[in-house]
Amino acid sequence: MANQNYLCIQKSQLGHTPKGERPSPAQVQEMYGRFNAWRATFAANIVDIGGRLGAGKVVTVDGVLDGASIEAKEIIGGYMILTAGSVDEAAEIARQCPGVIGPGSSVEVREISTP
Amino acid sequence: MSTPGDVDHFFRHEYGHLVALLSHRFGVQHISAIEDAAQAALMKALERWPTGGEPRNASAWLFSVARNEFLAQMRQGNDRRRILARYPVDLEPVPDKVPADIAIERMQDDLLRMLFVCCDAAIPRESQIVLALKTLCGFDIPEIALRLFASPASIYKRLSRARSVLRELSPGLVNLNEGEYPARVSSVCSVLYALFSEGYLSLKADAAIRRDLCDEALRLSGVLANHPAGELPEVFALMALMHFHLARLPGRQDGDGGLLLLGEQDRTLWDRTMIEQGLSWLALSAEGNQFTRYHAEAGIAAEHCLAKTFEETRWDRVLECYAILEQFNPSPLNRLNRAVAIAEAFGPAAALEDLAGFSPPGWLARSYIWAAVMADLHGRLGDAKIASYRARALAIAPSHATRKLLSRRLLRSTG
Repeated sequence: MANQNYLCIQKSQLGHTPKGERPSPAQVQEMYGRFNAWRATFAANIVDIGGRLGAGKVVTVDGVLDGASIEAKEIIGGYMILTAGSVDEAAEIARQCPGVIGPGSSVEVREISTP
Repeated sequence: MSTPGDVDHFFRHEYGHLVALLSHRFGVQHISAIEDAAQAALMKALERWPTGGEPRNASAWLFSVARNEFLAQMRQGNDRRRILARYPVDLEPVPDKVPADIAIERMQDDLLRMLFVCCDAAIPRESQIVLALKTLCGFDIPEIALRLFASPASIYKRLSRARSVLRELSPGLVNLNEGEYPARVSSVCSVLYALFSEGYLSLKADAAIRRDLCDEALRLSGVLANHPAGELPEVFALMALMHFHLARLPGRQDGDGGLLLLGEQDRTLWDRTMIEQGLSWLALSAEGNQFTRYHAEAGIAAEHCLAKTFEETRWDRVLECYAILEQFNPSPLNRLNRAVAIAEAFGPAAALEDLAGFSPPGWLARSYIWAAVMADLHGRLGDAKIASYRARALAIAPSHATRKLLSRRLLRSTG
């Protein structure tokens, strides 16, 4: 079966900012290394590595609103697009991505429908 | 230039560069805020680089972020007015595209300056080492505690003592003039030597952890030796000494992590390139008329490195170096080491005779090293005195690996 594309949306609960020990430079090195290793492992699955999402606007029929004024319990922090044989496979790849899921943050994996 | 992905200690060393650069620019009395800013810059890199890609000049990127972070902190703090008055230009937001304005030489200058700051005589030696490991090498408190076999609380205390000295330095003293360097070079050398010894002599840690400290000491000594302020025979001899010791590290352990005696080591495992480099530094150190303890110690280490086998060691030359060392740096441990060399050159009886007139200080007399050497010398003579020394050495050996080595060595002697 041909692969499908999946949109991975990283979400964090509003007001939940993890305040643990700050990582030491050596730990930063390790985290960076783990991310790069993940990226190399799944290079064939990564369609768009995406990125973090900054502040923005919400466009409605009533006009253009500040993003911040939209009521939400979760904020979307970042996205990426994966290709995989199934949603389960895509979810597993996202799960293995270092630093994406943790206390108060999750990833939603959604199939991108194509005609 | 190095990139974050392919260099093992990129972030640790960048942290050291950031602290050095910001300290020079804004004054080392802000050390705590500066360290926070350096940390924040690394976090931002971790957040941005994986998806956005690494900037072409990663160091300049980090510096720009850390500087902005520092200034943002200062805007909120009490030092605001003073800092703003001195650095109005820096308040302009720094564009995302950073000019590569931090030259490598400049970075090395600042790193060296920070090293001299860490070695301020007003800071106790044990705090100097912790401060250097924290600010220049980028280890955090638990990582330093692990490497120095101390509790995190005690490391924190040592660090606080150093920081409080730095905070109280008058601004004039904060940025050392290069004219003040010569007076401090010896002190800097002895901090680097202590740092190296922590790694090299420690029998308690695993090899990787030990190697870290040695590598950091060598890296910082290299910064000093390659800087005009450090072009001195003393510094070159220290570099030679470190190379000779590091060259032999791969031979010190067997496949199971057990320690090997000098005579048991496979000398083909020794790092020839390191030895060659050591010899070059030793040759450089011989130019000029300064002679230091590092020259004598490097001389001893060089003899070991150059001997094809243990039996071929030129013990007479080793003893000459010990005699010189005795003049420059008389120490009970050197005295004991010399006796070990005498035993190889002239036999155990001569060594015991040499030690007969020597009463070791309490710390040495109580140490496993003293017991082990005495047991070995008596054992080689077939003397019954071995028994009590051997029992003591085995009882107080600091690690499993040491105990194993001692029992192998001492149990084959009868007595």
